[in-house]
Amino acid sequence: MNVFISGGAKNGKSSYAQDLAVQMAKEKKCPLYYVATMIPHDDEDRARIERHRRDRNGMGFRTIECGRDIDRELADREGVFLIDSVTALLSNEMFRADGTVDSEASIRIAERLKSLCKTHDGLIFVSDFIYSDGVEYDELTDAYIQGLAIIDRALAKECGKVVEMIHGFPIDYKEERANYDDWTALI
Amino acid sequence: MVLITGGAYQGKVDYALEKFNLSRKDIYTCSRDKVELPEGAGIINNVEELVRACLDNGRDPLKYLAARKSRWNKSVMIVNDISCGLVPMDAEDRAYREAVGRTTIYLATEALAVVRVFAGIGKRLK
Repeated sequence: MNVFISGGAKNGKSSYAQDLAVQMAKEKKCPLYYVATMIPHDDEDRARIERHRRDRNGMGFRTIECGRDIDRELADREGVFLIDSVTALLSNEMFRADGTVDSEASIRIAERLKSLCKTHDGLIFVSDFIYSDGVEYDELTDAYIQGLAIIDRALAKECGKVVEMIHGFPIDYKEERANYDDWTALI
Repeated sequence: MVLITGGAYQGKVDYALEKFNLSRKDIYTCSRDKVELPEGAGIINNVEELVRACLDNGRDPLKYLAARKSRWNKSVMIVNDISCGLVPMDAEDRAYREAVGRTTIYLATEALAVVRVFAGIGKRLK
């Protein structure tokens, strides 16, 4: 099963995702990978990556460093892949090193990750819920937020399990359908 | 009335169109410069903007809505959840966010069903 996880900051998304990945790899008896999506820009970033890598080592993760084109990187591999985070994947591709913006990035990433979901079983995506602060941002920031929503919605549709993390608790959006036999009777 | 809530760009309108078998022409979109809610809209979108319009005109959004139930009690109302950011620096923005929160709670109380849409997927809260 593929899983999409999102939620606000410090609500336990990564811990939940890591535990789930470990459990899934154990059940499937397959390799466990952590797809590190952050592209380090300075020593502080590198130190943080090293710290996280040590933390995960004890859990049995092998690390794949890949901030762009992860579909190509994972195409021929099998296993459970924890992809943390979708947010970083979008910023890596949308905001190019030369300062220009790739406005097609979100649609392209959404399509590629959707295809990856069809060929793989055991993908765990972690994203960030950045949609409820009520702030009116500049055009570029707003385009980024909109872009992430495009990817999130595509993944949520494709994944068998969709989880919102809140205060360390998972809320499963596919477990209990919001369907009503006759919605139109309610209005 | 059914209330649909959720963050920005989560697919609230698409969800409403699909579940209630409505089309885009059934949507009334609230905005800051439209002070009156019309009768008979299938979907009333961006309720937070109606709250803003009320505040701009010195009206209490709860009283405004309570006095005009016939304009929305057969509709699908969609409100943007803007509750999770920092406290706004500007007093007017703070009042706005509070009013949106209070209005959402009022409408949720009145609604027959409340759905939160997350990444395109709805979950019934009521």
